[in-house]
Amino acid sequence: MTSNIPILTLNKVSRTFGTFKAVTDVSETFGPDELNCIIGPNGAGKSTLLNMICGTLPVSSGSISFGETAIHGLSGDRIARLGIARKFQVPSVFESLTVFENFQVSAPANSDLAILEEILSTVNLVEDLDVTASDLPHGKKQWLEIGMALTMQPKVLLLDEPTAGLSADETSATAKFLRGLVGKVTVVVIEHDMAFVRELGARTIVLHHGEVIASGPFSEIENNEFVRDVYLGRR
Amino acid sequence: MTQLSSLLTANKTASGLRFRPATLIAISVILIMSVVPLFSNAYDLTNYRDVLLFGLFALSLDIFWGRTGILSFGHATFFGLGAYGMAVSSIHFGIDPSYVSIVGLLVGISLAAVVAALVGYFILYGGVRGDHFTIVTLALTIVANHIAIGWSKVTGGDSGLIGIPPFSIFGFSFYDPMASYYLALIVLAICLFSAIWILNGRLGLILSAIRDDEVKAKTLGYDTKLILLITFVVSAMLASLAGALYVTNTGFVAPDMIALLLSTEVIIWVAVGGSGTLVGAVIGTAIVWWLQQKISSISVTAWPIAIGSFFIMLVLFFPRGPGAFVLEKIKAFQKSREGNK
Repeated sequence: MTSNIPILTLNKVSRTFGTFKAVTDVSETFGPDELNCIIGPNGAGKSTLLNMICGTLPVSSGSISFGETAIHGLSGDRIARLGIARKFQVPSVFESLTVFENFQVSAPANSDLAILEEILSTVNLVEDLDVTASDLPHGKKQWLEIGMALTMQPKVLLLDEPTAGLSADETSATAKFLRGLVGKVTVVVIEHDMAFVRELGARTIVLHHGEVIASGPFSEIENNEFVRDVYLGRR
Repeated sequence: MTQLSSLLTANKTASGLRFRPATLIAISVILIMSVVPLFSNAYDLTNYRDVLLFGLFALSLDIFWGRTGILSFGHATFFGLGAYGMAVSSIHFGIDPSYVSIVGLLVGISLAAVVAALVGYFILYGGVRGDHFTIVTLALTIVANHIAIGWSKVTGGDSGLIGIPPFSIFGFSFYDPMASYYLALIVLAICLFSAIWILNGRLGLILSAIRDDEVKAKTLGYDTKLILLITFVVSAMLASLAGALYVTNTGFVAPDMIALLLSTEVIIWVAVGGSGTLVGAVIGTAIVWWLQQKISSISVTAWPIAIGSFFIMLVLFFPRGPGAFVLEKIKAFQKSREGNK
């Protein structure tokens, strides 16, 4: 992997809620078109970190840059227009709209129909074009939201637990799909399903009590004693 | 892939050009209303004309409430600003009668736009949504009503202002009931079809998306606060247009045109027709007006009791309107029957 200028840089990013430190001094860089995974037990600060990157939550201190632009302090919609797309933990789709209307909202105006077509078939929703989103089963909602993120043609794709509530087969399909995005878009996935993370085989960052305790290829992380202790609740 | 392509293209043109049932109903309503004068006397016609303008007022509320899901209790403020803007500029300043109506119209609409933009900016950008938005705008109506009563030098206080000339443009006065009826109908038709056309397009989708999940819409790159603010201001401007035209018919303005009761009534009109349907707002206004005539002719005190109880039922049982309530029940019934099979 050629090490280019990082597309996303976190520099000593911290977030406190009152006296509670949710995220403390996280400094990480994400290269272009790489697949990254953030793991950690519940309450480790994973979602908080993602919320700060996409502007839903302001940082308490530290800085976040997208390429060379500082993005902390920008509003969520501006960050999105720069090219950072996000999939929420609970599937967030527009329930009263049909699948196609959801795509119409997420895709930029005058998007190429051919690209929408391709994304629709990638996420297997061609048959459900006219189905109202509230009538979709949970798994398809997840895929719809991923598809919506893709229609934005993002440079960075942030995914918060994309496999939550999916069957084993669907989870495996998601891993395959995400590996296929390597070289196309920078992906940051939050997960705690270890089997899925193993299948991803991506660079992995481990958060614990809001701090990075390890980062590197998953094979290394898996054999890290400290990480094992954290996951088994020994620390 | 080519099959999918044609499917998508079909879907796209369909959503752009398809005549939805609501559009067909809107066309029918306007067509029927355009032949009504042939069968009506002058007195009835002036009543129908007022219903058309109140229908326009209801439409203005539905554009905001129906699409964003945020209920404004302050729309009488904007109707009233249009009414008072027209009244004050045509009575106090001695403007040339040939263009005083246009000046009054512009003053009324601008006042409403400025107030909506100011108030809307602080509450929408402050993140005020849902019930809180309703309460703040309710207070706005009360404040506006107090100003209308208290600032008697300008507004005429409790008794209001009398002597507003009929609407006139380029020397043509809409004095005749027939002329003023058609003026109201044409303005209503233009606003109704523009609203349908715009809200059936991309903007309507985006507003529905914001109603469903504003945070998500924001992460898709939409400046949701600005979009809501613009919608609110446009909605307020339409309300003031209705108010300004209304007082050129009555010839006077009074504080009850900028009061809480009117804010409540307009919500009921929209709810009866089904919020979000646009043409429903106009139909709902007509139905409530007709009921009011019937019930009031039986007993004058029966009407406030009827409308009050209806409002309570609206809040408790069918917040999306009686029409939507019935449709939902039918759907649920059909689903349960399918489930039993």
